[in-house]
Amino acid sequence: MSKIKILHMYADMLDLYGDSGNMEILKYRCSKRNIECIIDKYSIGDDMPYFPEYDMIYIGGGADLEQQHISSDLVKCRGGIKKAYKNGSFLFLICGGYQLMGKYYRDADGNEIKGLGLFDYFTVAPSSRKKRCIGNIVVNTEITGNPVKVVGFENHGGQTQGVKTPFGSVLYGNGNCSKSDAEGYFEKNVIATYLHGPMLAKNPEISDYMISYCINRRSDTHIKLTKLNDKLEKDCRRVMLERLLNK
Amino acid sequence: MKKLLILLGKIIIKVLHLFHRNAGNLPGIILWHLSKQRCCSIFKVDCPIIAVTGTNGKTSVTNCIAQLFEKSGKKVIINREGNNLDTGICSLLLRHCDMSGNVKADYLILETDESHVPVVYSQMRLETLVVLNFFRDQLDRNGEMETLIKKINSFCRAFDGNLVLNGDDPNTARLGLANPKNERKIRYFNAERYKFATDKTFEASEGHFCPFCSEPLEYEYYQYSHIGKFICKKCGFGDYEPYITASNIDLEKPVFTANRHEYSPKLNSIYNIYNMTAVAAVGKLYRIKPEIIEDVISNYTVNNGRMENFMLGDRKTTLNLAKNPVGANMTLRVMNEMNGDKELLFVLNDNVADGLDVSWIWDINFSIFERVTRVVTSGTRAYDIAVRIKCSGYDPSKITVCPDLDEAVAELARTEGRKFVIANYTAVQPTRQALKRYSENGGKNNE
Repeated sequence: MSKIKILHMYADMLDLYGDSGNMEILKYRCSKRNIECIIDKYSIGDDMPYFPEYDMIYIGGGADLEQQHISSDLVKCRGGIKKAYKNGSFLFLICGGYQLMGKYYRDADGNEIKGLGLFDYFTVAPSSRKKRCIGNIVVNTEITGNPVKVVGFENHGGQTQGVKTPFGSVLYGNGNCSKSDAEGYFEKNVIATYLHGPMLAKNPEISDYMISYCINRRSDTHIKLTKLNDKLEKDCRRVMLERLLNK
Repeated sequence: MKKLLILLGKIIIKVLHLFHRNAGNLPGIILWHLSKQRCCSIFKVDCPIIAVTGTNGKTSVTNCIAQLFEKSGKKVIINREGNNLDTGICSLLLRHCDMSGNVKADYLILETDESHVPVVYSQMRLETLVVLNFFRDQLDRNGEMETLIKKINSFCRAFDGNLVLNGDDPNTARLGLANPKNERKIRYFNAERYKFATDKTFEASEGHFCPFCSEPLEYEYYQYSHIGKFICKKCGFGDYEPYITASNIDLEKPVFTANRHEYSPKLNSIYNIYNMTAVAAVGKLYRIKPEIIEDVISNYTVNNGRMENFMLGDRKTTLNLAKNPVGANMTLRVMNEMNGDKELLFVLNDNVADGLDVSWIWDINFSIFERVTRVVTSGTRAYDIAVRIKCSGYDPSKITVCPDLDEAVAELARTEGRKFVIANYTAVQPTRQALKRYSENGGKNNE
């Protein structure tokens, strides 16, 4: 039986918009295929984990206050996370998790939170708190080799700039910056995005991309995932695409 | 200028009534634009104002407080329909004022939206503010929790009236420390541990940290969500003298004791106990006769989709509003605590008033389902809730998606057994209508 080990960081604090649902979805899709999915949690005050033993490291989004709380702790994890990433662990990052992996995050009051600097992008929040990017969003991504229209919900003040390899192009909504063309950040073992919803709810292809990556990352042979019945998920997405794109 | 605005407002109400339109909010919106956004400043109110705010329970508590005074023979003005923004309150006062803007009553009892407390009561003098709880609710509309609490906190810093606070919610209890000069007018209500309280929280929640020194808060017990007995070991936040405490809580009867009186409310949920304790606190504060307080608390029930019962043919059906995970988790608990098989209809909308973001449904813990034999989903986001329930491990072949409400109700009624219906904010009234249509036509409207 294949096995995936995930480290869910700061689950108790960065769980503002149902982002923990992504973990439930990955676990569900693994269990349907007899893939063992172990999800460990790490938060402030816990013993430092050995990051490279994990196939995936997951960080969700939170409110500004929680984000400030965890940022100094996250800095302590920098070495471990960087090593895991270089060794091929998958980084799955939502909203705040996405921002904090860049160079820095400057909040609405001008305070700068240092990021881990794993990637070159940086994020600046507009001085007015009212100018948030909020709403449904549709992103076209080709990470799986085929175009997939990913539907989610964005809710962020921060404007992320300096992304060279985005997750996808925006068909509806804002993306990295207000009214921008690109959304998120992507490498073969990194998906960083503003999408809540949670992100994986209506987008089973993205879940499977990550599961497939994780179970195959150490082996020479390629294990193909068995197909699941995704009718509900696809109907759910179809309804939203019809509503958002056929205006 | 003020008189002109009032005249205009009254004319708008008349016109709306002529066309049989609801004047609950529109007159206020028009005056809001004409009064430089200070539409509540045009009235002259001499009587005390009592405001009720918080995420859950505002409507119930506001209505009960109004009854305390009405049954004491006082004239009360209240926004019963829950038009609780500045524009709604303006529309209410327009209907009740004379041509000079004088509002004549003994008390104004106003349900007030959390984000509008500073707006409204910078324009009218507030005597008492009751704050029930703060949960994540419609985050895309209200902005983040912390931003909202900060707004109310800065209002409380300059507020010298009575503050009645839920002492078991760190988000509301912290308001009691906003204005140290006002210490003697701060009253906390709380509740002792009840049977289903837990040592850990299993629901996504707020309030992990002490707002004063950032230490993690320690809980002796959680009643539900983040409501419970908490303390900050470092600075002592949470150590206060309660004004009134609900004790001997037994939800099976249901019964509880507060201020040396035993009360038997009609609704058997822990959050109703908190709401009624808030009502008892206001009763005590205003020296309402004990028998009147008891009368109000023991007779209060609701017919607006809050644990409301219907018969679908011979099938007993209970509808409950759930506009956030806390409300939904509570309904699931009530459902589970009931014996036997049952079926669930979940109606989920994503209209503006609901919050466009439905990701909160992933904070509902569906894995606790016990003997739920079938699920029907409906609403503008019928598929989202279906996917969510499926991914909790529930057998998808037992889920039926019917976006159309009448079809959904007919589908629910098709089989025998006990039924539960959960509907979110804008879904609750259409769902009531659909349930009524079905029970009146005996299910013939859809065959």
